[in-house]
Parts: sequence; C-alpha cells; structure tokens
Amino acid sequence: MIVPIGPIHPALKEPIRLKLQTEGEKVVKAEIEYGYVHRGIEKIIEGKTWQKGIYLSERVCGICSYEHTQTFAETIEQISDVDVPLRAQFLRVITNELDRIQSHLLGNSTFFKSMDHETLFMRVLELREYAMDSIELLTGNRVNMGWNVVGGVRMDADERHFKPILENLEKIEEGFERTRALFAEGPALALRCKGIGYMSKKEAIKGRAVGPIGRASGVKEDYRNGHYTYDDHFDFKVIRRTEGDNYARTLTRFDEIPESISLVRQAIENIPDGEIRTPVDLKSGYAMRKNEAPRGEVTYMIETNGSLIKNISIRTPSIANMDSCAKYMIRDVPTVADAVATYATSDPCVACAERVAITNEAGKTSIKKWDEVR
Amino acid sequence: MLNAIKDAVRKSSIHVCIVNCGGCNGCDVECVALLSPRYDLEQYGIYVHNNPREADVLLLTGAVTEQWVDNLKRIYDKAPEPKIAVAVGNCPQSGDVFNQEGGHVHAPASDFIPVAAAIPGCPPRPSEILEAILAVGPQAIADRGREQE
Ligand code: SF4
Repeated sequence: MIVPIGPIHPALKEPIRLKLQTEGEKVVKAEIEYGYVHRGIEKIIEGKTWQKGIYLSERVCGICSYEHTQTFAETIEQISDVDVPLRAQFLRVITNELDRIQSHLLGNSTFFKSMDHETLFMRVLELREYAMDSIELLTGNRVNMGWNVVGGVRMDADERHFKPILENLEKIEEGFERTRALFAEGPALALRCKGIGYMSKKEAIKGRAVGPIGRASGVKEDYRNGHYTYDDHFDFKVIRRTEGDNYARTLTRFDEIPESISLVRQAIENIPDGEIRTPVDLKSGYAMRKNEAPRGEVTYMIETNGSLIKNISIRTPSIANMDSCAKYMIRDVPTVADAVATYATSDPCVACAERVAITNEAGKTSIKKWDEVR
Repeated sequence: MLNAIKDAVRKSSIHVCIVNCGGCNGCDVECVALLSPRYDLEQYGIYVHNNPREADVLLLTGAVTEQWVDNLKRIYDKAPEPKIAVAVGNCPQSGDVFNQEGGHVHAPASDFIPVAAAIPGCPPRPSEILEAILAVGPQAIADRGREQE
C-alpha cells in the first residue's frame, strides 16, 4: 500500500510529498515528489547586477541564507580577481559559523519534533535563540542577513558586538552538554534511532550525500577545508562517524556545534584591524566556487559580462541529501513514524532544493543531476 | 449568548496551520521560532500542529508557486469554518523578489483565498507574527463565524 504524506503535514516544515510504500507496518520504499516551492530564481537573476543577484541568492533558502550570499560574493570576487580584506574574511567566518550553529540546532529540533520528544525539541530551540540573538546583534537581521557584499562585508563590528556574542556562546555551551547527553545517552530515544535509516559509505557516495548527512556515513568531505580563510587562519576538526543511521546523523550535527563555537572564538580573538570592504572593478568571465553550507556543499557557477550576470547555476546540498534519503535511508524502516523521522534527519531544506527543477510543457518535473550541471 | 460563549472558547484556543506556498522558508523558520520557550506560543492558547483539517488560522507564507495555484484553495477548503488566513511576509502579499520577469509565482495569495490580515517583512520578527495573530485572530474568527450563520 502506498501512504502519501504531505505536502502539508504535521511532521513536515516545508511542502513536499513523500510516498511511502508499505508492507504491513513496514516501509519498504519511498519516493519524494518535488516542485511545491519552485520559484525560478536562477532565471530571475539572469541579466541583473550583482547587487540584485546577491539579494535574490539570499532568498534561495532562508535557513542557510548566509552561505549563499558568501558563495555568490566569492564567485564574483574570483571573476574580478580581487582579494577580500582579512578583517572582512574573519567577519564572514563569524557569521558563517553562527549560522551553522542555528541551522544545526533547528535541524535537530525538527528531528525531535518528528520523534514527538517535546522536551528536547524545546531545549534545542531555546539554545537556538541565543545564536539568533548573536546574528541579529551583528547584522541587524535574524534570518536574511544581507551581510555580504562583493568585496567584503557591509558593516564593521567591534567590542560592543563581540562581547555579547561571546556571552551568548557561553550560554549555548552551558545548555548544550546536557541536551546532547539527553539525546546521546537517553535510553528511549537511542532505541528509536540506532540502526534506523542506515546508509553505508558506499551508498552515501553513490547518492552524493554531502555535509553532516554524508559525514555521518563516513564520507570525509568538508569544504571548509580548502577555503582560503579557514586553511590559513583557523583550526577545526571535521566530525565524522561511521554508523550512518539516524543516531549518527543527529549526533554529527550536535558535535559540529562546539567546533563552530570554537571557530567563532578564534575569529573574535585573532581578528585583525583594517578595511572591511575593497572597491571592486568588475570583470567579465566565468567562475565556480564551492563552500560548506550547514547542510553540505553549495556550488555557484556564474558567468558575467562585466556588470551584468549572464548566467548563473546554483547547486545546493539538499537535493542530493533528500534523494539519498529516499533511495537508501528509507528502506525497510519498521514503521511509518520512523520513516518520517528518518526523512527529518536528512535535514531537508526544500526551498534550497527546488531551483534546479525544470518543469516542461507536459508538467513533468525533472531534477538536474550533478553531472549535467557540472 | 451563544455567540458570547463561542467567542470566549475560540479566543483561548486558536489552532494554527502553517502553509508554505513557495517562499524561501525564512518566514517558516520564524514561525517555528515562535514555538521556542522564548516566545512560548502555547501560553497564549495558540497551538501549531500543521494540520489544515483542525486549523482556525492558516498562516500563509510564500509567493504561491505553480503547484499551489489549485492546491491553496483545496487546503483552505479543508479547514473547518470559521477560519481565517493570515499572510506572513512580503511573499504572499506581493510576491516579493520572485514576482519579476522569469519568476514562476502567482502572488498575491488573496487572488485565491480571502486573506484577513497581512504582516509585512522579509521575514517579519516572531514577535510581530505573534502580535498579529493575537490582535486579529479572535475577532476575525468570530466575525467569520457570524457570517457563516
Ligand atoms: S517574505 Fe522574505 S523571508 Fe518570507 S518567504 Fe518570502 S522571501 Fe522568504
């Protein structure tokens, strides 16, 4: 029997349709139907200036909106051959990691909600608010920050910002240990998520799972390694696990949070003085950049003709993660509730995923594969 | 008399369903943030369960994409009377940045269903969303209830 879930459903925070094929209680197969939030962002950006483009790219996805603007800005900077001032690079790291903290906490809270564990759901959301406060303090906005510009960042920050941010980080750390232990060592939750939604390393690579979802299955890619700021000035550990189940995915996200906190601290401690923005002489050309968003690698390919953007192609992590979720994770899952929880651990971000969907005249939606957009 | 009782009951028990009809999900995460202990939606008698069949208030976010053109009305019809729709963010009101050449959106949402209130912002702060639901919710639901009778 096929059990359809969605597009609006208590356990989903964004519209998507899950079709679960069941045998008795067991879910044997899943299929995901996309297309509910396709807006055509890439098409809109074409022929616009970067000022408009970066504004739109921020609205590809609200949860990890920050990384989109950074990658967009870095791509244009690469085309125009400019070096961003070091102070701006450090400020970008601070916002990036704060964004990662809030996104991981949100991802985990969704999972706890789908497991109906209200206590953890509330605790995690409570911690998240401190990260949101820090972001608001620094950039002025909670969600769509508008923090990056081509050539640097929009505003400077000083002690007045850094001190409360450090205090907020302490508050997150205070509650974090206990919350993590509640999940990692609590018997009820662990029983329901250990061994459920298993995906092996081989399958993760085949399904091109990225980010914490891939790393929970043993894939080692983290695109912060290879980024010029992180490589030259920062120390961090890439969190990897090998179990590849719901438990591992949630814990990977949890364990990345202390790393991000330490990165923010390093940035605030060592931030150099200087400019925050350089004037940019726009050149024409083509460039591609990859960055690590909270959910995995974000790729921007931009072609410009001097001042206008001729062509843009964006690849976001969610599409690969959701696809590998449907293909490999939801396979012989004991109950429908567990299948929905498994879907939640893949930290789906539907708005991200749905800009490469192409709807042809027959109304059939097809999703571009990685090879095709490469 | 009957109306007074109905109003009192409805006032302290508002069920909310978030309907994302194609935005950037920035507004949705702000609605989720409302559930956090900081804002604690439930102390005001508002309960978010995302089930249109039990909803009094539909929180609309997003700019009405192709897929939602028919589905929005269907979801709205599923909700029991009296019900209201509140548009959150710029998207359902104007289509925000997506409503330009090349975009696939059909904003405003009020073309498809009646919208009782709108909260501008991209995205609005959680406190603003909360304020709006509390300010218009009970009265609008009551009015809608009278209309139906
Ligand atoms: S109003 Fe802004 S934040 Fe809200 S869904 Fe639309 S684009 Fe996103």
